Amino acid sequence: MKDIVRLRTSIKEDIEQILNQQILMEFESSSKYLAMASWCDRNGFEFSAGFFYKQSDEERQHGLKIFHYLCDQGVVAVTPAIGAVQIEFDTLRSVFEAALEQEISVTNAINRIIATCRRENDYITEEFLRWYVKEQMEEEFIARRCLDLFNLIPADDTLRLDKELARVTFTGETVD
Amino acid sequence: MQINWQVVYQTTKGSVFQCTLTNRFIVEFSHTQTSFSVLDFRQFRRMVNAIDMRQMALRTDDAHDVAILSPPHTDRCFVLTLCEVVHLRDLLNGAGFMLDLNRMLSDCGCSFPEEVIA
Ligand SMILES: [Fe+2]
Ligand SMILES: [Fe+2]
Repeated sequence: MKDIVRLRTSIKEDIEQILNQQILMEFESSSKYLAMASWCDRNGFEFSAGFFYKQSDEERQHGLKIFHYLCDQGVVAVTPAIGAVQIEFDTLRSVFEAALEQEISVTNAINRIIATCRRENDYITEEFLRWYVKEQMEEEFIARRCLDLFNLIPADDTLRLDKELARVTFTGETVD
Repeated sequence: MQINWQVVYQTTKGSVFQCTLTNRFIVEFSHTQTSFSVLDFRQFRRMVNAIDMRQMALRTDDAHDVAILSPPHTDRCFVLTLCEVVHLRDLLNGAGFMLDLNRMLSDCGCSFPEEVIA
């Protein structure tokens, strides 16, 4: 039987669906980071606020990248509907802990999508997702390093802590 | 059924064909035929699967007696009773399964024996 679906797209329906879920997750991350930026801003953590504003922008770009991929592959990219996110936090440390937890759940989600791609023999999408694997390695590294700083810098030295947190970058080897 | 149509799946309540000339799907259900592009067919199937059948069964007000769907790029709308939702789901998901099977077969270099399904 002629495969008219394949003529239209290489993306199978379940891959289309999980990629749309991932778009939603990236946009949710963006929203969560924006709320964290807002919390830092109003509590005087100017540098951490800047850090989260930047993270928020990046997460939006991650979502858009998948959005364009789906459009390019000839299937439907769904505009995500984002619900309310947590806007209050107890401490600066708990903000960064929430950030690490978010990154871990994104890493898990990316892993699950790649597992599905392998099951469905969709090596094109797997190749596309390779960028996200590397990105998550960096993101988890940065979030963990930030949490380390809370143990290294005395809690009453908030200005220094705030400055150092915003300076954390990934310095490991990366292949582009 | 027209000359360029292949049967994708059939039940006692309807049929899904694919047209090899236009690369479109044709859904025949409750005595009407509706033609869909590949993407719109996927979308239509999702719409039918998303109908809250529990709600239809439990709610007693008139508004929940039927489900009304307007599939993309068609000028018709489907007004479905609970039974029809079940039958349409059967048909569309059966077709979806056959399309997946067809893909799996061609992925491993085989093809559907057409005379068996036509
Ligand atoms: Fe991300
Ligand atoms: Fe991230």
